[in-house]
Amino acid sequence: MEDFERELHQALERRPAPPSLKRKLMEKRRARQPRGPVVLWRRLAASLALAAVLGGAVEWRHQQEERRQGEAARQQVLTALRITGHALNQMNAQLAAHSRTQE
Amino acid sequence: MAHDWQPDFEQLVDEHQSMVFSLAWRMTGDRGLAEEIAQDVFLELDRYLARIESPQHACFWLRRVTMSRSSDALRRRRVRRVDLWVEMEDRHAIQAEERTSPLGARLEQLLATLPEAQRAALVLRYQEDMTPEEIAATLAAPLATVKSHLQRGLKLLRAKATDHLREYVRVKEQASGV
Repeated sequence: MEDFERELHQALERRPAPPSLKRKLMEKRRARQPRGPVVLWRRLAASLALAAVLGGAVEWRHQQEERRQGEAARQQVLTALRITGHALNQMNAQLAAHSRTQE
Repeated sequence: MAHDWQPDFEQLVDEHQSMVFSLAWRMTGDRGLAEEIAQDVFLELDRYLARIESPQHACFWLRRVTMSRSSDALRRRRVRRVDLWVEMEDRHAIQAEERTSPLGARLEQLLATLPEAQRAALVLRYQEDMTPEEIAATLAAPLATVKSHLQRGLKLLRAKATDHLREYVRVKEQASGV
């Protein structure tokens, strides 16, 4: 090997890798690794809890809607009863007036 | 054939991180990019680990993938129309201050100005002490092509170094008033 090549060989010695390289690499590797059974169970439990909360909310909204519709129907019945009562009273008064005139 | 050797990822990182990082750095001329490439290469090794058969296979695989990833990074840069050579010279100029031998530092700078194929062959030859046959296998190139890249690269580098040395002597002489 001639001098120039020897000099080049020395110039191209390996450089030490930055200390952060291995740390970052191991972090990325950990983040990529498949989850353990505990984590899977936790995820499943969280999913079930979320499903229960959502289901409860839907059921509550459904009940509220039914209650609102029931109240509206009750108000309609009451209004109808009031109108009927009023009509009967009027008819009663007319009958009474008619009887008095005949007497 | 069955093999007893069991690859240990962390041990492979400890053993080869300097090699992978240095190859990527000398190919791209960018320390940050070299670190990213080294991380990608090792993460790919992690995925490929079950198929690594021996320490020699691991070393060969790492060199090959590092060179390939470095070429990809250089290609992406060319697409982005970055003036890589100017950038590489600037970055190597910063590194030069860390070096003890001025000629060694300058050689490294000049190496960055060589065409990519010649630079790859020279880096593997003089950083990794590889034979032309090993370089050909690593780069998946014909042996004759690798030998040609080595000869031309060395010739070009020597010519550039001679010019630089002449200029250095001329400046020194002017400064000393000879």
